[in-house]
Amino acid sequence: MSTTVDRADGANSPDSSAPAPAPRATGKGVPLAYAGSGLMTASALMSWCYDPDVLGDLTLYGNPAPVQLTMLVLGLLGLVLAMSAKGPLRRLGAGLDTSRGAFRLGLGAVAYMALTLAAITAQAGGLVNADPGAWVALVGSLVLVVAGRLGVSRPSRNIGAMRAKGWVEILVLVALVAIALLLVADGLTLRDPWAFVLLLLGVGAAAAGLAGANAFTWLGVTASYHSRVLTLAAFVAAFAFPLTQNGSDANMSIATQVIIFSATALGLNIVVGLAGLLDLGYIAFLGAGAYVGAILSGSAFATIDWQPPFLVTVIIGALFSALLGLIIGSPTLRVSGDYLAIVTLAFGEIFRLAMFNLDGNNGPKITNGPNGIPAIPELNFFGFDFGVTHHLFGIPITRFSNYYLLLLCVIALIIVIFSNLNNSRIGRGWVAIREDEKAADAMGVNVFGLKLLAFAGGAFLAGLAGTIKAHHDVSVTPDQYQFLESAFLLAAVVLGGMGTVGGVLLGAVVLKLLPEKLRFFSEYRLLIFGLLLVLMMRFRPEGLVASKRRKLEFHEDDEHLADKVQTIHLEEKTS
Amino acid sequence: MNDIPQQLVNGLTNGSLYALIAVGYTVVYGIVQLINFAHGEVFMIGAFGALSTWFLLFRDNTSVWVLPVMIAGAIAASVATAVIMERIAYRPLRHAPRLAPLITAIGISVFLQEFVRLFYGTIPGFPSAKSKIPFPAIDGVTGSPFHLGSVVIQRPALFTMGALLVCGLFLGWFINKTKQGRAMQAVSQDPDTARLMGIDVDRIIVIAFALGAALAAIAGVAQGLQNNNIDFKMGFMAGLKAFTAAVLGGIGNIQGAVVGGLTLGVAEALATVFVTGAWKDVFAFGLLILVLVFRPQGLLGARVVDRA
Repeated sequence: MSTTVDRADGANSPDSSAPAPAPRATGKGVPLAYAGSGLMTASALMSWCYDPDVLGDLTLYGNPAPVQLTMLVLGLLGLVLAMSAKGPLRRLGAGLDTSRGAFRLGLGAVAYMALTLAAITAQAGGLVNADPGAWVALVGSLVLVVAGRLGVSRPSRNIGAMRAKGWVEILVLVALVAIALLLVADGLTLRDPWAFVLLLLGVGAAAAGLAGANAFTWLGVTASYHSRVLTLAAFVAAFAFPLTQNGSDANMSIATQVIIFSATALGLNIVVGLAGLLDLGYIAFLGAGAYVGAILSGSAFATIDWQPPFLVTVIIGALFSALLGLIIGSPTLRVSGDYLAIVTLAFGEIFRLAMFNLDGNNGPKITNGPNGIPAIPELNFFGFDFGVTHHLFGIPITRFSNYYLLLLCVIALIIVIFSNLNNSRIGRGWVAIREDEKAADAMGVNVFGLKLLAFAGGAFLAGLAGTIKAHHDVSVTPDQYQFLESAFLLAAVVLGGMGTVGGVLLGAVVLKLLPEKLRFFSEYRLLIFGLLLVLMMRFRPEGLVASKRRKLEFHEDDEHLADKVQTIHLEEKTS
Repeated sequence: MNDIPQQLVNGLTNGSLYALIAVGYTVVYGIVQLINFAHGEVFMIGAFGALSTWFLLFRDNTSVWVLPVMIAGAIAASVATAVIMERIAYRPLRHAPRLAPLITAIGISVFLQEFVRLFYGTIPGFPSAKSKIPFPAIDGVTGSPFHLGSVVIQRPALFTMGALLVCGLFLGWFINKTKQGRAMQAVSQDPDTARLMGIDVDRIIVIAFALGAALAAIAGVAQGLQNNNIDFKMGFMAGLKAFTAAVLGGIGNIQGAVVGGLTLGVAEALATVFVTGAWKDVFAFGLLILVLVFRPQGLLGARVVDRA
C-alpha cells in the first residue's frame, strides 16, 4: 500500500484519532523495536530475582518460570511485529499497524514489569533483590515503547480484507481457543494473588498490542467467516475443562459459579443488549425459578409435597418466571423506558420482601421467610445422580463438574436462541425499537408485542437457570436475590459489550473470577464495579467486545464507522 | 382501628421525608429528562455530612443551636456530591442514548454506597460505617414526644414536617420569583429557545441538581433524627420510595412531588393498619405499578412522559 492511498484514507476520516500520515519514516523505529523485543525475549532466560521464594522461582538462568514465560511471549510478539514492519514477515506487515501495536505492547510490558518489581519489592523486602534480568526486561519494554512512538501509525490499513487459506484461518482460531483454555486452566491453579494479577496483566498487554496492531480486526472478520467452527471449538474447550481438573473441586466450584453467572448474564443480554430494555430486577426472575425449583424439589423443608420429574420442574419454573415478567412488563412497557428500569428495580425488591414475608406469620407459609429452603436434594436425571462422582475414560467427573456440564448445555441453548433471534425478523424488530421506537412503530413493527416478548423471554431463561441453581446451591434464601446482584449482572453485560455473546461471556467470567481469586479484590469489588460502570459509559459505552451496530449507536457522528458497518452488511448479503 | 389518627401522623411524617427527596427527582427530570438514580445516595451523603460536621465541630454537644450548622454541613456535602456527579458523569452523556445515563446512575449509586462504607471509618476519629452509626440526639428536636389526645407526635416528626413546610415555601418563592427559578421553568419548557434567550442551560442544570441535593440533605438530617442512626444503605429504599412519590405526583411537577410524597406516606400507613406492616413496601411499589398503568402522568399531571 503506498503512501498516497494512506493519505486518501486519512482524508476520508477526519475525526478518527489517526495522526496525518507523514512521509515514510518507519526506518528509525524498526531497529529499536528489534532491540527492545530482543531484550525482552532474552530477559526471560535470565534471573529476575535474588530470592527464590518470590513468584515461583525466578532465580534461574535459562529456565524461565511462568512469570518469565509471559514476558517471553510478549517479547516474541514484539519480534513478530518488528519482523512484519521490516523483515521476513513483510507480507503480514502490509495489513498491520505495527507501530501502534509495538507502542501499546511496550506500554503493557512496562506495566507488567512495574508490577513484577513491585511484587519483588513487597515480598522479598526491597528493590535490591531484583536481579539484572528484571531490569533488562524493563529496559526492553521501554525501548519498545519508544520504537512504537517513532514509527508511523497507519490505522487505515484494511487487514480485514486479507484472507488466508480457509484451513489456516480455522487452525489459527482453534489454536487461539486452545490457548485460552490453557490460560484459564493455568490461571485458576495460581494461588498467589500477585502471580494471578501478573498473568492477567500479561494477557492484557498481549491483547493491547494485538489490538493496537489491528490484528483483532482481522480476527473479528475471520471469526465471523468461521463462526460455527469458532463456537464449536469454544464449546469443546469448555466441555474439556473439567477433564483438565483431574477430580479437584477447588476450581470446579468456582467455574460452576462463573457459568451460572454467565448463563444469567446472557439471558439479561437478550433483554438489555438486543431489545434495549433496562431490567434492574433480573435477579428476581432467577430467584423465582430457584424458589420453584426448591419448592418442587422434594426437600424436607419444601412447603408443597409434590415432586414432579425435574424436566417438569424446569418448565414450571421457567414459565412461572415468564408469567411474572408478563405481569410486570405489560403495564410498564407501555410507558417510557426509564420507568421500566425503576419498576423492575421495585419489582426486585417486592420479590425479595415477598419471599421474606411468606413465612407463615405475615403471609401463607410458602418460602419459610428468611430461613429459606435448605437441604435441596441433588438433581437426578433418569437415574444419573448429579451428587456423586462419575468416571469418563477414567477421569473423575465430580459433583461440580456434573452441574458445570449441565449448565454449559443451558448456555449453549441460550446462545443458540440468542444468535437465531439476532438474525431474525424479531431481532431486527428489537434493534429497530432500541434505536428509535417511534420510527419502528411507524414502519409497522409490533413494538409492544416485541418488547413484551423480550422481557418475558428473558425472564423465562432466568427462571430456567434458577431451577438448576437451586439444586446446585443446595439452599435458597431471599438474600441471594438482592438488587446488588442485578447490578452486578448488568455490570457484566455492560463491561463485555451489550448485544454480543463473546463480550458478555468475557465480562461475566472476569467479574466473577476476580473476586474469587483475589481476596483483597472482593472487599472492593462493588466499589470498583460502580466506578467501572461509570467509566465504561463515559469512555467505551459499547463494551470491551463491541458489536459493530451497537458501536455505531453510541458514536453516531463517526461516519467512517458508519461506512464500515454498511460494507460489512453488504458483504453479508452478497455472500 | 382506633390507631388510624396515629397512623395518619406517622404517614404524614414519612410522607414529608419522601416529598423532600422526591423534589430532587422531579426538578432534575423536568429539566434534563434524566432519572437520577443516585439521588437516594445524595440523601445518604447528606446525613453523613451532618454527622461529620457534628463530629468535627461539636462532639458531645447537643444543644439546639448546633442543628443549623449540621444542616449547613449536610447541604454542603450533598450539593458538592450532586454537582460533581453532574459535571463528571452526566454532562458528557447528555446526548448519549438513553441507556447510558441510567447505567451511569446505577454505577454512581453503587460507588457512593461502597465509598462511604469502606472509607468513612478511615477518617481519624470517625466510626466505621460498615454498620449503623448512632446519630446525635439534639436537644429540643428529640426527646419526650407530644401527646394530642391518644395521638403521640414525636419531636423529630414535627421537625420533618416543618422542614417540608419551610422548604416548600422556599421552593415556591425560588421557582416563581427569582431569575434563576424562572430560567429553570423556561429551560424545562423548551431548552433550545431558552438558550436563544440567553439562559445558560448548563448552569441551570447544575442549579437543579444542587436544589434537589439541598432538600435531600435536609431530609437526611431529618431521617437521622427520627431513627437515631444512619447507615450507608439508607439511600436505596428511601430513593426508591421517593421516586415512587415523584411518579405518583407526576414526575416533572414540583407540587406533584410534595403531594405524591404525602399521599404515598399516608397510603403506606393505612396499609399498615389494614393489612400488616410487613407488606408496606410491597404495597408502595404495587401502587407505583398501578399508577403507571392507569395514570402515567401522575395525580397532578405533568407533561406526559414521551421518551422512548
